Amino acid sequence: MVFDEEFDVIVIGGGHAGCEAASAAARMGARTALVTLNLDLIGQMSCNPAIGGIAKGHLVREIDALGGIMGRIIDRTGIQFRLLNRSRGPAVQSPRAQADRSLYRQEMRRTLEATANLHLLQGSVVDLLLRNESVVGVEMEDTRCVGAKAVVVATGTFLNGLIHTGRRSYVAGRAGEPASIELGEALKRFGFQVGRLKTGTPPRLDGRTIDWGVFDPQPPDEEPVPFSFATERIEQRQINCFIGYTTRALHESIRANLQESPLYSGKIRGIGPRYCPSIEDKVVKFADKDRHQLFLEPEGLNTNEVYLNGFSTSLPPDLQRKLVQMIPGLEEAQIVRPGYAIEYDYVDPRELGPDLQTNRIRGLFHAGQINGTTGYEEAACQGLMAGINAAHFVNGHGSFRLSRAESYIGVVIDDVVTHGVDEPYRVFTSRAENRLALRYDNADSRLAPYGRELGLVGDMDWQRFNARRDRIALGQSALRSTVLRRSDATYAAVSSRLGCDLGDKVSLAQLSQRPNVSVRVIEELMPAEVRGRISKGDLECALADTLYAGYIGANETAMGRLHQHDALQIPVGTDYRHISGLSREMVERLERTRPLSFGQARRIRGLTAAALSILLVHMNMKEKIG
Amino acid sequence: MDTIVALATPSGRSAIGVIRMSGAGALAITRLLLGEAEFTPEPGKVLLKKIKDPLTNEPVDRALVTYFQAPHSFTGEDVVEISCHGSPLVLRRVTDILLKLDGRLAGPGEFSLRALSNGKLNLSQAEAIRDLINAQTDAAANQAIRQMNGEVSNSVRPIKERLVRLIVPLESALEFVEDDLPAMQLEEMKRELVDILCEVTRLAATFESGHLLRDGVKVTIVGRPNVGKSSLFNRLLGIDRAIVTEIPGTTRDTVQEQIAIDGIPVLLTDTAGVRHSNDPIEMMGVERTKRAMAEADLLIVVVDGTAKLSAEDFEFLERTSERKRVIALNKEDLPGFEDPLVGKVNGGENVFRVAAKTGAGFPELQQAILEAFGVSYASGDQLLITDARHYDLLCRTEAELERALKLLSERASEEFILTHLYNGLRLLGEITGETTTEEILAKIFSTFCIGK
Repeated sequence: MVFDEEFDVIVIGGGHAGCEAASAAARMGARTALVTLNLDLIGQMSCNPAIGGIAKGHLVREIDALGGIMGRIIDRTGIQFRLLNRSRGPAVQSPRAQADRSLYRQEMRRTLEATANLHLLQGSVVDLLLRNESVVGVEMEDTRCVGAKAVVVATGTFLNGLIHTGRRSYVAGRAGEPASIELGEALKRFGFQVGRLKTGTPPRLDGRTIDWGVFDPQPPDEEPVPFSFATERIEQRQINCFIGYTTRALHESIRANLQESPLYSGKIRGIGPRYCPSIEDKVVKFADKDRHQLFLEPEGLNTNEVYLNGFSTSLPPDLQRKLVQMIPGLEEAQIVRPGYAIEYDYVDPRELGPDLQTNRIRGLFHAGQINGTTGYEEAACQGLMAGINAAHFVNGHGSFRLSRAESYIGVVIDDVVTHGVDEPYRVFTSRAENRLALRYDNADSRLAPYGRELGLVGDMDWQRFNARRDRIALGQSALRSTVLRRSDATYAAVSSRLGCDLGDKVSLAQLSQRPNVSVRVIEELMPAEVRGRISKGDLECALADTLYAGYIGANETAMGRLHQHDALQIPVGTDYRHISGLSREMVERLERTRPLSFGQARRIRGLTAAALSILLVHMNMKEKIG
Repeated sequence: MDTIVALATPSGRSAIGVIRMSGAGALAITRLLLGEAEFTPEPGKVLLKKIKDPLTNEPVDRALVTYFQAPHSFTGEDVVEISCHGSPLVLRRVTDILLKLDGRLAGPGEFSLRALSNGKLNLSQAEAIRDLINAQTDAAANQAIRQMNGEVSNSVRPIKERLVRLIVPLESALEFVEDDLPAMQLEEMKRELVDILCEVTRLAATFESGHLLRDGVKVTIVGRPNVGKSSLFNRLLGIDRAIVTEIPGTTRDTVQEQIAIDGIPVLLTDTAGVRHSNDPIEMMGVERTKRAMAEADLLIVVVDGTAKLSAEDFEFLERTSERKRVIALNKEDLPGFEDPLVGKVNGGENVFRVAAKTGAGFPELQQAILEAFGVSYASGDQLLITDARHYDLLCRTEAELERALKLLSERASEEFILTHLYNGLRLLGEITGETTTEEILAKIFSTFCIGK
């Protein structure tokens, strides 16, 4: 086959998955092309202009620790940073930031353009080129054939995208952008199992037409917590968001107009995310609720456009305007972009291995919404992992995987490739069995060494990581070794401040476990030479380790014995039909997912204890006879 | 590897039952069981030992204890085998103690699996064992289905559902901090958790079949003079222990004898039938009868089926009506036998027609005695193991919920409380089938309006 151009890796799509994939592959040394329909829309936030949130913020921290780019870019373009769940334990705290949508896009484009080995190509991929069940390149709409040893498909909502507003439907990948029809058809032709999902977005308003005084301001944190371990301070001016509410009268009007909604008229077949319900869904499913909360989120520092978060709708645009104007404070509001629902194809992610490579076509990787996930962060982490594995594939290295126990990234990928999806998949902390150990503030200690090994963490970042790790270790040892004795001068002061006796002696580590002992108290009690060398953030991290250490250990022994065989590998190509004693149904379930470890097999829904025992014995026998 | 425990001989009645323990902790657990901190037996040597319950110090059994040192054992790990007397009660009790001492009940085929992992089996042996496990797990699966429809699952499922309902607001508060959720009702949640905890405790107590079965049950035979109490006593005993004559009031004192019904120890007491008397000896007998009645866990009220009910019969029936009892309608073998109780007792009453002289009706009577304590012949072979596993799971659930309750009371951050609630859920899930995160999320989304 003669190619017009040749690369090691081609990434199709310039969204959050595609950008991470392309950046990682290129930085790992693969000659990489990122092909996108419109270069000006690289890194576009299709929905709300925000990154992070509970569990999602964890993902961004993990992406950053591995050497991904999302964290740095949001840190440079975020206009409202907040650390969520401050009142709870550090394991469930998570950063979130509003982005300046346009700045984010520009910064992403700038970052990719500055990446060696990375080429941006505008165009539409219509087909994959194969040889012997391996991908060898892509065909573009303009008939160019571009060669590649590995291809990452990260097409978001563009595969057979169909937008709905009111009774009107039209083919599009996002409002105002074409869909990707031929590529979707090509994937079906190759035999991939394709399903249909749906998502939606709310209207955007003209900020000048909003009566801001009616809404409650939601201020940013005074000390913004950045996403990237490399970011020292947030430079962008920080702004308020605003909170408002719907009314009963508005709910009545929506219910009276449901026949106009494609969701309720039966036009939409795809399944939408339960945690991102449209306003139509909210007033129908929670009819007894007096009001629903709305957020007014400015789209940027240099625009009047405001995102009406909480009001996702696919009602006709003229009706959207009438309904929006029933919201107190929005009586005069003008819509600049109406909300809409979009249906798109996804490919059953059970077709993928844990490296996100398809079982069907070697060298082909899927990342992001094509796998049935939702969310920029979920997409980005898959993009990063697909990019890493595409580069590894090109270089003939084995695959790179993260376990559920060490990362949310591992949880997300294992969940989708093991169970598949029946609605858009979103990350939650409750999905991680090991949630107490997976903190946003220890993502670097969990993952940065991998990033370094992969070649994604540069020298400066690696030095910074090591220095921080050493400072935290210093803090930890000071917590253990600094002991308050009854005879000490400070003892009485601390004891009376806390209003309780502390025993004859107490270490700072023990003291920190008591309720009402703040970081500040511990900081003050630290030996001066330690205090001078570690930051408050370092100390918080050391304290969090102390807080959960005993807990995690004890719980692992209690629960771990249930899962002691999880690490056992199941050989690729295991023929389940030849394992005597497995019922046909169990064989089918195993064949659909093709688990690579006993742990993954154990998580397949509907697999019986008997089937698992048989599998375990089979694997043990194989191991013994080699 | 943790230490696994299981009955190595078929369950049911037998002369000897062997409990096998394998794992790094086997010897340490044995030391606790024997109360000998220094116990270091010579490997392979059979030793006669007294087994005591380390918590109560009560003697449980005299058993032969054999230690096999790793790697020279069946599994390749440290193994201890305890050969007890074959009573299901004793075996169950020893197993329970081992589980309390940090043993864990072995899963199907787990011993063999460990042997396999440690290179103790060759391939053909392994295949044979795999087939065995297939068979066992099929049986286990069948049993799981029975339990799904059965009492165990039916009792656990509502508890599990309540636990999920408790998890929902805690998890939502963590996960959806930006959503407009109703405030958590801490006191209400605490009350609910206490309630759930009580349910688990209650259930655990029934699985244990109560202290009655552990210590043996006390069964006392009562009734007016000359209805055949002593004949019944002798028949249950299998020997002529009590003196039987035609003369009413022959038994003046209470007579006690330890018997076993299906391996369960029963302290059987025969009483004097006389209710009122001026004879000082008889008066003492009457006193003892009263005490024996008060102490009994179960009363067998004997009525003469060949005679009309007398005032004294009525008095016995009346006085025992609130007690756990079975009624034995004796002398079924004699002419003139008819049921004098018709219309005199409730339809649901356990009435058995027996003939102490011939033994007719005794198997049914014995079964009724056991069933009164929740033991049934029908549940047969697997009862011991299955029960111990459920009991183990319920006790562990209890411990998790207690910790959750403590943390909830201390207003700890939700992720701590939830860790224990999920552990509890997972343990209960081993009885009823697992609850997945997906189910909990589904419950959250159907309970609260989540999402911007």
